[in-house]
Amino acid sequence: MGSTIRFQFSKGPEVRFVSHLDLARAMERALRRAGLPVALSEGFSPRPQISYGFALPVGALSEAEYADLRLSEDMDPADFIEVYNNHIPPGFKVLQAERLAEGTPSLMSEINAALWKLELPGMSSESLQQRWQKLQGEDKFVVERQTKKGSRQVDLLPLVHGLVRIEDVSGGAEVELMAAVGREGNLRVEEMALLLGFNQAEAVVTRLGQFKKAGSCYQPPLGNRGFTWTER
Amino acid sequence: MDKRLLPLLPLVTKPARYTNHELNAQHKEWSPDRVKMALAFPDIYDVGMGHLGFKILYAIVNGRSDALAERVYAPWVDMQQLMEERAIPLSSLESGSDLASFDLVGFTLQHELSYTNILKMLDLAGIPRRSSQRGESDPLVLAGGPCAFNVEPLADFFDFVVLGEGEEVIHEILDMVKTLKQQRAGRQEMLRELAKLKGVYVPSFYRPVYEDGKFQGLEPLYPGIPAQIEKRVAPDLGALPFPEDFVVPYAEVVHDRVMVEILRGCTRGCRFCQAGMIYRPVRERDPEQIKAQVEKLVQSTGYDEISLSSLSSGDYSQIRSLVADLIEAYQGCGVTVALPSLRLDSFAVELAQEIQKARKTGLTFAPEAGTQRLRDVINKNVTDQDLKEVVQGAFQAGWHRIKLYFMIGLPTETEADLDGIADLARSVLEWGRESRTSRKRPEVTVSVASFVPKPHTPFQWMGQDPLEVLTAKQEYLQKRLRRPGVQFSFHQVEQSFLEAVFARGDRRLAAVLERAVDLGCQFDSWGEQLHFDRWLQAFQEVGLDPRDYAQRWLDPEAPLPWSHLSPGVDDEFLRREWQLAQEAVPTPDCRWDRCSRCGVCFKLPVVNRLVEVAGRG
Repeated sequence: MGSTIRFQFSKGPEVRFVSHLDLARAMERALRRAGLPVALSEGFSPRPQISYGFALPVGALSEAEYADLRLSEDMDPADFIEVYNNHIPPGFKVLQAERLAEGTPSLMSEINAALWKLELPGMSSESLQQRWQKLQGEDKFVVERQTKKGSRQVDLLPLVHGLVRIEDVSGGAEVELMAAVGREGNLRVEEMALLLGFNQAEAVVTRLGQFKKAGSCYQPPLGNRGFTWTER
Repeated sequence: MDKRLLPLLPLVTKPARYTNHELNAQHKEWSPDRVKMALAFPDIYDVGMGHLGFKILYAIVNGRSDALAERVYAPWVDMQQLMEERAIPLSSLESGSDLASFDLVGFTLQHELSYTNILKMLDLAGIPRRSSQRGESDPLVLAGGPCAFNVEPLADFFDFVVLGEGEEVIHEILDMVKTLKQQRAGRQEMLRELAKLKGVYVPSFYRPVYEDGKFQGLEPLYPGIPAQIEKRVAPDLGALPFPEDFVVPYAEVVHDRVMVEILRGCTRGCRFCQAGMIYRPVRERDPEQIKAQVEKLVQSTGYDEISLSSLSSGDYSQIRSLVADLIEAYQGCGVTVALPSLRLDSFAVELAQEIQKARKTGLTFAPEAGTQRLRDVINKNVTDQDLKEVVQGAFQAGWHRIKLYFMIGLPTETEADLDGIADLARSVLEWGRESRTSRKRPEVTVSVASFVPKPHTPFQWMGQDPLEVLTAKQEYLQKRLRRPGVQFSFHQVEQSFLEAVFARGDRRLAAVLERAVDLGCQFDSWGEQLHFDRWLQAFQEVGLDPRDYAQRWLDPEAPLPWSHLSPGVDDEFLRREWQLAQEAVPTPDCRWDRCSRCGVCFKLPVVNRLVEVAGRG
C-alpha cells in the first residue's frame, strides 16, 4: 500500500544559491540514489510525485522547507529520514517526517506565513527599532513590484505580521520577522530590505518556520507545536 | 570555492555556477607532495560540465594519491566584471585556489571559437599569456582535445600540448612532473623531459619557416626533438579507466545525465569530418562493461537519463540488444535511454522507436547535402531511397516533426545542390502527408551550417566560400524554403568564417588573438557576444588578412602549418580522398568493407576492434 510522507528539511549555506528548480532536481536524484519506493506519475515521462511549498528565494537559507512525497509502498517515517539523509547532497538535511492523512490540503494551499531571520551586518538594533516604530505609525508603505506581467504598486505593511525579535549581535543586528508568504500575499526579501533599510546583498536571510496562520494562531505544517502570537 | 566570490554571488546571474559542494566533487588536501592540476574549460560551467573528457581525466587524476584535479570554468561576463573591479583572480571550484597556484593548468580545445576564452581566463588568473613570458613560479599551461591537431594559432600560449587520447599519457605526465618537482627542476628542463613523452608537443622547441610569406615548414630547434608528433591512441577501450561517479551539478547544465562511451572513433569516412579522421580507428566497448558502468553511474548520480555516446551510436555492433537490455533494466524506475547522433538509416527509426516509445517529439537526421551527387562527393553514404524510407518510417511510427541538418559551401556545390535541399524539405512534407499516423501536421526544420575546411581532412586544402557567397546562399535557401510546415535556421556566417581562419591557422595568428581579447572579444560561440567588427580591427592592426586563412585554396603538395601534428592518417590518403571527392566516388567503411588505407593501423599499434556482431538490422 502506498502512502504519503510529509517531511521538513533544512537548506544550509553550502547550497544557498541553489534555485528552487535546481533543488527539486537534486531531491529527485537523491530519491533515486536512495532507492526509495517512490510513486511515479502516469504519462509519457514518469516523474516522482513530490510537491513543495512556496519557493525559497535564491540566496536564502532555511530550517523549515517542506515537501510531500508519494510512496508506492508504506514506509516508517523514521526509516525514511535515515535512508534519505544518507543520500541527499551536502547542505540539505531532513529534520522530521510524518505520514500524511488522506485528504490533507497541499502545502501550497495551506501555508500563508513564514518566520524569517535577517542577519544584518553593520546595522544596530536601535536604528532598526526606530525605523520599525516609525513604520507602524504610517498608513501604508507602497513600493513598485516587478512581475512577469509588468510592474504594479504593492502596500507592504499588511504583509508584515510583526517583528518577533530585534537584537544586537557582534558586527551588526539580527531581526526575526513574521510575514505573509504564498499566493494570497507574499513579502519578498528585496521588499524586506526596502522596508527595514538594509542592503540585501550583505544580509543573510534564513527561513526559520512556515505556518498556516488563522487569526493569531500559527500552525506549522508538520508536528503539533502551533502557537498563538500577536505583536504587542 | 573561493570565499572572495561569496559577496558577489547575489549580484550575478545563475550564482550556482560559481559554488561548489556538488555531489561527488573531490576535495583533496593540498599537501606539498601532490601534483596539482587544474582542468580548465574555456567556457562557462553550464557548458563545461557536460564534457565527458574532463570527467574521465578528473577521475584519473583524483584516483592517484600523489595528485589532485580541480575544475575551473570561464566566469560569465557579469562575474568577470565584478572580479576585475575587485581584483579577484580566477580560482578553482573545489578549493577556491588561484589558478596560478596549480602545477599544471590543462585546457581542452573543443572548438576554435573558444580560443579567446583561454586568453581571457589566463588574464583573469594573472598568468602571463605567452609561454615565453612565464616564470619559474607560474604553472605549466597545457592543452589537449580535437583542436590540438592544429594548435598552431595557440602555439605561443601553451607550454606543451597533448595529441590524442589522454587516459594513458596523463599518468606519464603526472609521474614526470612529480619527479621533476622533487628535483626542483626548472621550466626548461621540465619541458625538455616532457617533450620525450610520446604524443607530447612543446611548441617553443620549434621554429616556423616562411619564405615570401609562404609557410615552408617547422624546424626543431634542438637535436632529439621529433619532427613529427604522433597522437596517443589505445588499442582497447575496455582497458582504459572510466569514472564510477560524476560530479552532479545543482545548476542546469548541458548533457546533464549518465554518459557512457560505447565506442570511440568512426570510419564512415565523411570527407568534411575532422572527428572521423582524428579519432580512428573504431574501438567498441564490451556490452557487459557498458552495462556495469551504467549501473554504477545511475547508482552514484541518481540521474534519470542514460546517454550512450559516441560519434555514431547506431553503428555499435550490438546496439539493439544493448538498448533493449538497458530499457528493461531501468524503465521501471523512471530512467530513460538516449542515443545522440543517430545516422540516417531505417535502423535508426527502429532504435528511436525503441527509446521514445510514447513521447514522439522530433527526429533529427543529417543528410548534410541536398543531392545524391554532392553526398557522394562528401562520402556521406546515404541514398535518396534511404532518406525516403527513413522519413516515411518515422512518420508511420508516429513522429510528425523531422529536423534535417545540411551544410552549404561544400566542394563542387552548385545551385542544383541548394535546390536539392529545398526539394528534399518539400518531399519530407509530402512523405509525411502520405504516411503520417499522428494527427499533427507534418513539420520539417531545415538547419543549415556553413562548411568549414578542417585540418587533417580530405577537404583541408579547399577554401571556404566568401562571406558574401555564404550569405547569398542562405538567402536563396530562405526564399526557396518559405512555405507552411517548413522552418529554416542557419549559423552565423561570421562564426563559420572565424572558425575556418583558426582551424587552418598558423602561429602568426597569436597576435590577432591577443589583440581581439584586448578589444573585448570572448564567448565568440555565443552568437550575441560575437563582435565581428572588433575581430576585423584586430586583423587589420596586426596586418593579416583573415581571408588568406579561411578562403585560400592550398597546394596539396605544399607543407601545411599542421603537418607535424599527426593523427596517424596519411597525407597520401587525404589526397586520394580529395581526388575521389572531385570525381564523386564514395569510399566504403573499412569496418565492413575493404581497407581504405588511411594509414592509421599501419602507423599506430591499433586496429578496428568490434564486439561480436549479433545480427544487425
